[in-house]
Amino acid sequence: MATRYIYKRDASRLFIALSEQGKKFKIYLPQDAYPIINDEEKEITILESKYDSFSFLWNNKKYFAQIKSKEQNKYRVIVNGVEYFFSIESISSYLRRRMLEDSSDSKKTVFINASIPGKITDIFVVEGDLVNEGEPLFSLEAMKMQNEFTSPITGIVKSIHVKVGDNVVKDQLILELSNINE
Amino acid sequence: MEAKRILIANRGEIALRIIRTVKKLGHIAVVFRSNRDKDALYLEAADEIIDANEGLQDKVIFLDAEKIIELAKTHQIDMIHPGYGFLSENPDFARKCIEAGLIFIGPHPDHIYKMGIKTIAKELAEKVGLPLVPGSEDVVKTVDQAKKIARKIGYPILLKAAGGGGGRGMRVVEKADHLERYFNAATQEALNAFGNGDLFIEKYIENPKHIEVQILGDQHGNVVHLWERECSLQRKHQKLLEEAPSPSLTDRKRSSLGKLAVKFAKAIGYYSTGTIEFIMDKKKNLYFMEMNTRLQVEHPVTEEITGLDLVEWQIRVALGEKLPFKQKEIPLNGWAIECRINAEDPQNRFSPETGFIENIRFPYHPQLRIESGVSKGTYVTTNFDSMLAKLIIHEKDRKKAIESMLKVLEETKIFGIKTLVPFFKVVLTHHDFIKGTYTTSWVEKVFNTDMLISQDDEIIAALASSIAYAMEYLPIAGEKIDIQQDNINFWVLNKRLR
Repeated sequence: MATRYIYKRDASRLFIALSEQGKKFKIYLPQDAYPIINDEEKEITILESKYDSFSFLWNNKKYFAQIKSKEQNKYRVIVNGVEYFFSIESISSYLRRRMLEDSSDSKKTVFINASIPGKITDIFVVEGDLVNEGEPLFSLEAMKMQNEFTSPITGIVKSIHVKVGDNVVKDQLILELSNINE
Repeated sequence: MEAKRILIANRGEIALRIIRTVKKLGHIAVVFRSNRDKDALYLEAADEIIDANEGLQDKVIFLDAEKIIELAKTHQIDMIHPGYGFLSENPDFARKCIEAGLIFIGPHPDHIYKMGIKTIAKELAEKVGLPLVPGSEDVVKTVDQAKKIARKIGYPILLKAAGGGGGRGMRVVEKADHLERYFNAATQEALNAFGNGDLFIEKYIENPKHIEVQILGDQHGNVVHLWERECSLQRKHQKLLEEAPSPSLTDRKRSSLGKLAVKFAKAIGYYSTGTIEFIMDKKKNLYFMEMNTRLQVEHPVTEEITGLDLVEWQIRVALGEKLPFKQKEIPLNGWAIECRINAEDPQNRFSPETGFIENIRFPYHPQLRIESGVSKGTYVTTNFDSMLAKLIIHEKDRKKAIESMLKVLEETKIFGIKTLVPFFKVVLTHHDFIKGTYTTSWVEKVFNTDMLISQDDEIIAALASSIAYAMEYLPIAGEKIDIQQDNINFWVLNKRLR
């Protein structure tokens, strides 16, 4: 059964495939597991991969995909006699392009502020990391209590404005996240 | 029976099809090797090959009547089978064969001639009482005359050039206001294209169905019909899929249509195989269109439901044999569907595809008949038509036939060029086809290329593109698998297969 997948932090394995018809597929190619497509793990295994053709096994069915042509990041792929046209982007180039296209990126960037004053005791992510919703971002000590701040969205860590040991005031900007789900 | 030397003046799947029967009957199958198709599959099956050796300027052997007959004479040929297309409906070719002392496997040249001229065919049909599409009996010279006729038969009407075909000089007129303008335009177009501006007027049948009756006659005045075929799935008047019987006829209509077809064939003294084509309007009125005087591409569906070998009966009839069966002995068993696997791109307005067939695999299915003219490695050119193969399924009923055909198409793998396989999967799952209500305008009016997209296949395509991209641009990818546990790349996916 397909389960909702928790991304590993490596954002370089996340790709956005945009179809000719405007359909968007978020594709994560993990190191040691099934691919995650639009947040769902698909039990697809690669049987064979050559320079321009791949065969997969999915639900006991064999699929052949043949790359018919390629121009920069645009691919024409034939599966079962039908041609599909995709442009592929890495997540970072996708986010960059989206930012350039639309400067009002309020929805796309999420600012994480300190809701209470205190001292940063731990940061669990680095810039460029892929984080899942609910995953811990950093720890802040206040009134002798460790408070773990979790990510409100699934996204990429765009920037971190503090370091471990810093004292922060209430509402101080801690880090920025880029939303990958629009 | 004495073995005859039978020359098959054709190529591709139909050459193979005819060779099979020729051999079955104990005759000798002789074929041409064309310079434009030197390694064709059918050559392997023939008993003898005649090298046509056409020069670059020459026409292809299958169209060169003089050369065919000349080579037939020097190779002691007894009979010539023209197949379909090429010279199969050329009365001069048939006549020349006979004059040269050869037996032409087909109807009498006079019949080929008469049925080839639409006005003569329609006149003969009308005499026998076949219904014709209402229209002008003669050419219409003036707009006023046209208006009068149009009022009588009712709009929409079709203006048709008397001199030709191919859609030129043709106009559909929806209402009286447009008549004058379109009449002048069609006249001008016909004049430019055919040197003859004469027009006919016909009632325009919107979204018709195409239904045709197969008949078979001998040279002793016996004619039977072998039921009908429905060939409504067309694109630009090219049939793509055929089925027998037709889902649009009741049993009563079926036998009365068959009788009409037999009556017509008998009236003109027709023998060999022939097909009488009708169109059917929304109210299920049938109108005679034309008669084809050859073996049709879609003849296998008729063979499947009747159990008769049409090529065998063409040969026997040509040799003067009598038909040993009567109409009531002709069975109608189950349902047959044929898909024409053309090298055409359904995503790009069905444009012809050329190139190497890197691989071609049809599945085994007990009810599947494959008529293929190609194999792995065949180079598909634009020299000949784009049909690579035909897949024919015969089952006990229509529902089962559709299911089996879908299964076969699902497992048919053709690499290197695009074909109509994905298109047929769309057709066979579409409610218009399942209900049997599809018409000749289905492809133009209902089909769109988005229907070809399968969700799962699209995901696979997106995945493959991403992997290809990753392999090219990212250091994590690559051909080699790094065995160090914490630096293993995603090709380790391979290992999950058990």
